Amino acid sequence: MEPARAGYGSWVDFVNPQRFIPSMFHRRLVLLMVVCVVLILGMSGQMVRLSVVESADRLASAESKLEERTFLPTTRGRILDRKDRVLALDKASSDIAVEYDVITGVWPRDQAVSQTKKEVGRARWSAMSPEERQKAVSAHVPEWQAKVDRMWAEICRVGGISPLELQKRIDRIKQDVQNKAADIWARQLKEEREKYGVPDDEEYDDFKARPIREQTTPHVILPRVSDDIAYAFKRFDQQNPDMLAVIDSRKREYPWSGADVRLGRNSLPRPIRNDAPVSIRVTGVADHILGAMRDEVWAEDVERRPFLNSRTLKVADLGGYREGDVVGSRGVEKVFEDTLRGLRGQVNTRKDTGLKNRIEPVSGKDLQLTIDIMLQTRVQAILTPEYGLAKVQPWQHNEGQGMPPGMPLNAAAVVLDVQTGEILAMVSMPTFAMGQMMSPEQQKLDQPVVNRPVEAVYPPGSIIKPLVLSAAVTEGAHNLDSSITCTGHYFENNLKIARCWIFRDKYGMVGHGPLQAAEALARSCNMFFFTLADRLGMERLCKWYRRFGLGGALDVGLSYESKGDDGKVTVIGESAGDVPGEKEFAEMKAKGEGKFSQIIMGIGQGPVTWTPLQAANAYATLARGGVIRDATLLMSDPRGTRPQRTADLHLSKHLVDVALEGLRESVMERFGTGNHFGYDDKSEEAIINAQGVQVWAKTGTAQSDVRKLRDHSWFVGLVGPKDATRPMQAIAVIVENGGSGGRTAGPIANQIIRALQAEGYLPGDANAPVIDKNHPASSEPQPDPSDEHQEDH
Amino acid sequence: MTQVVSSSRVKAFSPGLRSSAREIHTPRVIWWNVSWLSIGSAMGLSALGIAAISTTGQGFAMRQMVFVCLGVIVAALVTIPHYRILQRLSYPFMLVTLGLLMFVLVKFVPDFLVRPRNGSRRWINLGFTDFQPSEVAKIAYILCLATYLRFRSNYRSLFGLLMLLGLTFIPLGLVLKEPDLGTSLLFLPTLFAMLIAAGARKRHIALIITLGLSIAPLTYPFLEPHQKDRIDALLAQIKGDSRYEDDIGYQGARAMTLAGAGGVFGVGKEKAAELLKYNHLPEDHNDMVFAVVCCRWGMMGAIATWVLFGVFALGGLLTAGLCKDPFGRLVAVGIVAAMFAQMVINTGMNIGLLPITGMTLPFVSYGGSSMVTTWLMVGLLMSIAMRRSQYMARQSFEFDDADQA
Repeated sequence: MEPARAGYGSWVDFVNPQRFIPSMFHRRLVLLMVVCVVLILGMSGQMVRLSVVESADRLASAESKLEERTFLPTTRGRILDRKDRVLALDKASSDIAVEYDVITGVWPRDQAVSQTKKEVGRARWSAMSPEERQKAVSAHVPEWQAKVDRMWAEICRVGGISPLELQKRIDRIKQDVQNKAADIWARQLKEEREKYGVPDDEEYDDFKARPIREQTTPHVILPRVSDDIAYAFKRFDQQNPDMLAVIDSRKREYPWSGADVRLGRNSLPRPIRNDAPVSIRVTGVADHILGAMRDEVWAEDVERRPFLNSRTLKVADLGGYREGDVVGSRGVEKVFEDTLRGLRGQVNTRKDTGLKNRIEPVSGKDLQLTIDIMLQTRVQAILTPEYGLAKVQPWQHNEGQGMPPGMPLNAAAVVLDVQTGEILAMVSMPTFAMGQMMSPEQQKLDQPVVNRPVEAVYPPGSIIKPLVLSAAVTEGAHNLDSSITCTGHYFENNLKIARCWIFRDKYGMVGHGPLQAAEALARSCNMFFFTLADRLGMERLCKWYRRFGLGGALDVGLSYESKGDDGKVTVIGESAGDVPGEKEFAEMKAKGEGKFSQIIMGIGQGPVTWTPLQAANAYATLARGGVIRDATLLMSDPRGTRPQRTADLHLSKHLVDVALEGLRESVMERFGTGNHFGYDDKSEEAIINAQGVQVWAKTGTAQSDVRKLRDHSWFVGLVGPKDATRPMQAIAVIVENGGSGGRTAGPIANQIIRALQAEGYLPGDANAPVIDKNHPASSEPQPDPSDEHQEDH
Repeated sequence: MTQVVSSSRVKAFSPGLRSSAREIHTPRVIWWNVSWLSIGSAMGLSALGIAAISTTGQGFAMRQMVFVCLGVIVAALVTIPHYRILQRLSYPFMLVTLGLLMFVLVKFVPDFLVRPRNGSRRWINLGFTDFQPSEVAKIAYILCLATYLRFRSNYRSLFGLLMLLGLTFIPLGLVLKEPDLGTSLLFLPTLFAMLIAAGARKRHIALIITLGLSIAPLTYPFLEPHQKDRIDALLAQIKGDSRYEDDIGYQGARAMTLAGAGGVFGVGKEKAAELLKYNHLPEDHNDMVFAVVCCRWGMMGAIATWVLFGVFALGGLLTAGLCKDPFGRLVAVGIVAAMFAQMVINTGMNIGLLPITGMTLPFVSYGGSSMVTTWLMVGLLMSIAMRRSQYMARQSFEFDDADQA
């Protein structure tokens, strides 16, 4: 200190307060004043934030309380099929709901208490002893109780329910609300204990159980009543307020979800053939596609589309979500939620001036699907086990191996319009609705929630062979005029692996001999396609698989983003399937399995999977000569995201002709694997017996490793009028654990073709009886297509 | 430094030696003195309060006007006796106050005498009005502390300081137990301000405040749930989390919203009245009256309020500065500190800087007993300012302070 004081000129001395204010007390007073000023300045900073920066928001928030807002319900858009049939619509109706206090019976007493208070006045009431109060209140209870009794009687009379049924409903509501309240309170108590660090074993009685929302709101006693009943109760409500509420409710209805379908049985395989048609009850038609609504609004909905601005409490989005809304939860109801949902209306009433400002509701837009619901219903009926095809039958040679006769088989089928890519029918069995009836164990086995045509992936098996041919020819790896000789096995010195299905050296069956492409397809020769795959190499082959739409979801209108528990967003609803990429190639080569993996990919084995929809889509692409027009469920996509892929693979006309010829021979010629199957008595049954049509198709089997049962049965093909050179529809059928493609999936495809005839998509009589050519029993042992997979290791 | 102080002492002594004893003991009354700054701003604030309360439209404004008149009368009466008699009365006064503070806490006192409100036992029912001992405790504490500190210097040691701190916790603890967190929060700022004025070492006070602030978060687990909730609500509010706005954070959030809604120049009386009516701000004429001021007059209203309090503080501190009697000096500082601290806490909670505690805004909030006690303090200031003795026996609170650079 001393040196600083020594002379003037030192800055310490210059700013030394002691120089100006000699008294320490006065210096301290100045310090206190400075503290005061600093505090005021600090608070002014916050004030500037509130009244300058945030002023507009805060004024808006404060003003929002001047307005009373009521909202008008909107109507969700309809979902139509391709022929304008309404598949989903909102039906307006009214629910009669009763206040919870009335339901629990405390209401008459509460009313009596407030009435007594009003009568005696506040001062007198405070002075009354509990006994006096009790007496005064009791005098009023009966009149209120009488009102309640009258209301219940009215509900029973008008609603047409017995007092017993009424009591049951009341009890159920009470039970539900009590359970829910108990759950919520237990959770809140737990949260509070955690928050204040009170261990479970320690007493904690500061918790206040506040009534849950359900305890202060009316509950539906009579759901969906007619307009005149609603009117009667509205009048009752006016005369007797605070007891019940007439709630406008909109119910989503799916008029086509259930139906009785009459199907002919005269074209079924002989053991179940019958001249009398059968009537089949189907439930949950197209419910995987349409989806459903849920009554609960989730946090993620509000996050995605908040109804109110959380800061200003103003309406942010009339289409936003609030408690009590219904939300599309699956299928197109979910994917096109924003299209269908619409905007609610709003009426703002100024509390001070009484002025009303009305915004009319905007209905949701309709969504038109490419589905033909009649065809869809028929195809679903064909896939029901009751019809007899989608279950274990003797001719399938599937019994045993944990598969008792009559066991239902899960299946999927897709019908596509070749020219447009529009999906005419897409059925997954069991349907979602059927799954609701199943036991949890059965659900685990059958996975009814999976929309099999787009979500389930299967190995392609032999049905991929036309694509391999297209790839090899277009890449110049095969000349259509040349042939490849089938010796029954691919490797010279290893007869155990990579065999053709025909290779049975003990029966003297060793190979197909030299084959050209069409016949190789028709006979489903593995050797031919091993060779093509080997010439192409797996990289080029997989590139072609991708071009045909494998390895990526086609986005037909069922895929949507979903946020997992870990917060990661994934696209679900449609599966991409698997096509190996660079990494997998390197791994396979590193394991020394390069060659083997490469050749078996040529017959649809190895690390390649696809969905039935991708199969039908690839066949349609082939039929269009390589023009890519991916499958869709939408007549026009409101999202404007289609088409996802546009390209032309430029398949030569000659190639398409040869490939189609192979597929035609496969069905139409006796040597084709899709032509017929044999019974134990050596008699034969043609797989496709529909008249007046041309069918190009391929059978296949896909290994099933999930249930350790039989392989999955594929039948994928194209169909058009007789004498047509190009097909009109593509069909893919898979029967899980169905075994042989021809024996199980084939007859189903045959009935789907007849369904197309019945719905006018193909010429010919759907109910035309089978022309029994009465095939003589073959002298040579018939190849069993179900053994196709046996060349595998 | 030592030289400076000792020479000033000599100067202070020398004129006194020459004057007569009569001159020392009968100071003349100075009518025009600095305390008019404080009185003027108190008037201004009271008027602002009446106007703000009239916005809430519950007929409180007329009654508040009566309370202000009553307060002014009490203030005038307080100026009549020489404030020095309070020196002798301060300890007995404190004992009575402590007795009353304990009385409200006694469990078996019947409810018609001590009527608990919202779980607090703060009020004694006097028949015509309620009386809140903690209001009086503020004054008793200031007087008591001034009496204690006036001729001492032991608070310049850390031990002496800690002892004082300990003694403070007697009334503070009792008020906290009621519970009246707001009032209890006033004791420490008052103590520190008076200690600073009295010349306690700044580093000691800085040390205690730093320690206190660093320990404060550790007390969180021992708080009552509703106090924790309020702190949580404040933190959430600061973070922009609207989760608590419908329950525990409601009051704070509504106050902030209404304060901000006023913008820079306010929305005017009618609009403010409507916003208040439909926003249901609890205690809008009372603890939350500052939000009403901000809503009606905007940031200008807030700044006017703060400037008036600043002028009040200036007047009080000038009163202390011109006073030569150590007791008067400290009482003036104590009054300024208590008022100002109360203002900071109240306006701070209105604009979302501090958690909600039950605390009125002096002069502005509605309420009879608080209006009378605040005006009583104004009267004390006047009493001190108008009796400036020209000579004094010894100069007080001048120390050779190494940390006074």
